[in-house]
Amino acid sequence: MAKRLAGRSAIVTGAGRGIGRAIAELLAGEGAGVVVNDLGSAVDGTGTSTGVADEVVAAIRERGGNAVANHDSVADFAAAERLIATAAKEFGAVDVLVNNAGILRDRMIFNMSEEEWDAVIAVHLKGTFNCTRHASRIMREQRRGSIISISSTSGVYGNSGQANYGAAKDGIAGLTRVAARDLGRYGITVNAVCPGAMTRMAATVPQTARERRTERGLSTGLGERTFPLQNFGPENVAPFVVYLATDAARDINGQTFLVMAGLVALLGYPAPVRTIQRDRRWTPEEIATIFPHTFGMDLVNPAPAKEPT
Amino acid sequence: MANGMLAGRVAVVTGAGRGIGRGVAMALAAAGAKVVVNDFGVNVDGTAPSSGPAFDVVKEIERAGGQAVASPESVADWEGARRIIGTALDRYGQLDVLVTCAGILRDRMVFNMSEEEWDAVIAVHLKGTFNCLRHACTHMRDRRYGRIITFSSGSGLFGNPGQANYGAAKSAIGGLTKVAARDLGKYGITVNAIAPVAGTRMTVNEEVRRARELRKQQGIQREDRGVAQIEELDPDDIAPMVVYLASEYAKDVNGQFFLCFGNSVALVSQPRPVKTLYKAEGNWTLDELDRLVPTTVAEGLVNPAPAKG
Repeated sequence: MAKRLAGRSAIVTGAGRGIGRAIAELLAGEGAGVVVNDLGSAVDGTGTSTGVADEVVAAIRERGGNAVANHDSVADFAAAERLIATAAKEFGAVDVLVNNAGILRDRMIFNMSEEEWDAVIAVHLKGTFNCTRHASRIMREQRRGSIISISSTSGVYGNSGQANYGAAKDGIAGLTRVAARDLGRYGITVNAVCPGAMTRMAATVPQTARERRTERGLSTGLGERTFPLQNFGPENVAPFVVYLATDAARDINGQTFLVMAGLVALLGYPAPVRTIQRDRRWTPEEIATIFPHTFGMDLVNPAPAKEPT
Repeated sequence: MANGMLAGRVAVVTGAGRGIGRGVAMALAAAGAKVVVNDFGVNVDGTAPSSGPAFDVVKEIERAGGQAVASPESVADWEGARRIIGTALDRYGQLDVLVTCAGILRDRMVFNMSEEEWDAVIAVHLKGTFNCLRHACTHMRDRRYGRIITFSSGSGLFGNPGQANYGAAKSAIGGLTKVAARDLGKYGITVNAIAPVAGTRMTVNEEVRRARELRKQQGIQREDRGVAQIEELDPDDIAPMVVYLASEYAKDVNGQFFLCFGNSVALVSQPRPVKTLYKAEGNWTLDELDRLVPTTVAEGLVNPAPAKG
C-alpha cells in the first residue's frame, strides 16, 4: 500500500521524547518529511539540549525517512514562526502540525507561584497558539492542512495539583474548537487528542494518584463499560494522531479524542443537560429551594469538605 | 438586609463596574454581603483605564442601603490582584465569596491574530482569574470556608469563530475551575463556573453586529444553541444563580458548570466519551483505523466549517 503521507510536510513540537517522538517517527514512516522540534528541556522546562531532537532525526533517517531538527522554543512567537518556516523551506509546504510540546510544574493552587503558572501556560497554551497561528497562514494559502493539538484529561476532568496544566490543556481544547471554525472552510482540520501513555512526564505523577485517576476517569467517563487498559506505550497514541493527519480524516474537524492503551474515544461537546426556565427572573431563594430536586439533582462534590485533623 | 442569604459575608467581584459583574455586585449586596467592587474601568478592548465605573457601582449599592468599597485595580497584574483581595481583608476583615467576571475582547480570525491580541485577552481572563483565585484561596483555606464563582463562556465550551484568544481563555478557566474545585473542596471551599449569555457592551455593539452580518453573508454560523436574540437578554438575569452559589445552601455544589441566560439556568455536562473503539492487544495500525474509525468514533460527525471550493 502506498504511503499515506508521501510528499507531505509535518511539524511535531516536543518530538524529542515520549508521545511526540512516537508521532514524528510514525509520520516519517508514512512518508512525510518531518520537522522534529524539541528544546531538549527537563520535564519542568529548565535547561536545553540540541541532542534530543537530533537523535530522533538520526533515528528517522536511519530507517530511510526524511527529517530535520529544530531547537526553537514554541513559547516564543518569533521562534515559532521560524519553526513553521523551517518546514516550508525544507519540504516545500506545511501540511501537518502536531502541537505536543509541554512541561509540568505541579503544585496545589494555594501554593502555586506566579512563575509556575506562567511557565506552564507559556509552553502549552501560548506555544500551541503560536504554532497554530503561523502554520494556519500557510495552510490557508495551500487550502489544505491538519492540525492536531495534544490536550489532556487533566483539563477535561480536573486533576488535583495541576491548576496551571489543567487550565492550559482545557485552553488548548477551547482554542481547537475555535480554530476548527476559523479554518475549516479553507480545507484545514483542527482536532485535539487527550493521550494517556507512560512517558517521563507521566512518571512524575505518584502511582497512587495515577491509579485513582485512571479508575475515576474511566469509570465516570465510560459508564458501565470498563476496559482492561494495557499496552500504555506512546506508540499506541501515535497511530490515531497520524490517522487524523491523513486524507481519510479530512472531514473530522473540531473534535477531541481520548486515546490511551488501545482505547480511542470521541469526547462529546459540553452541553446543557438539565434546565430550569420560566417567564420571570428567579430569586436566589427560589433557586436554593428547587436546586437539589431539579437541575442540581445527584451532583457529586469531587472533594467534599473534611474536618481539620 | 441583615437577614439576607449572605448576611455577614464579604465578597469580591471583579469586572463589577458594568454589565454582568455590576448586576452580580448589586445582587450580592442586596443579599447582605459587603462587596469589593473591582473594575479597572477599561474599554471592551482593555484600553483607557478609569476608576469611574467601580466608584459608580459603589455609590449605587450605598444608595440601596448596602455596603461596598471600590477597587480600581487590574486583575491581570499579580500584585494588583493581591491588592484587590487585600481590600476585602483590610476593609471588612475577611473574604467569603470571590466572583471573577473581569474580561476584555479582541476578536480576530486565528490566522490574522496578533501576538498582542492573544496576550491581552489571555492576561485579563485567564491569568486574572488565576491571580484572584490564588490570592483569595490561601485566606479561604485558613478559614475553611469559601465560595468561588468563575466566568467561562459558550465561546470556550462550544467554539465561536474569530475568538481563538477568548475561547481558549474561557475554556482554560473551565479547566482551572475543575482543578481548583479538587484542590480546595476539602477545605470547605467550592469553585464553580458560569457560562452566561447576555446583552452587554461586550456582546451588543456596532462591531459585533457588523461581524455577525459578515458571517451570515459568508455562511459561517455561530452556534447559539437556541438562545434568543442576545440583545434581549438582561445581564442582571445572571446574578440570582451566582448569589445562590455564593450562599451556604450551595455548600456541596463544587466543580460544576452552569449556563445562564434570561430566565433559564442549566447544568452543563462535562465532556465524556460518547463513542469508543478498543483494541486489547498490540498497537493500533493505520490500516485498522482506516477500516474502523469511519463507522465508530467518527460516525455521524459534522464538520462545523466544511471546506469551500
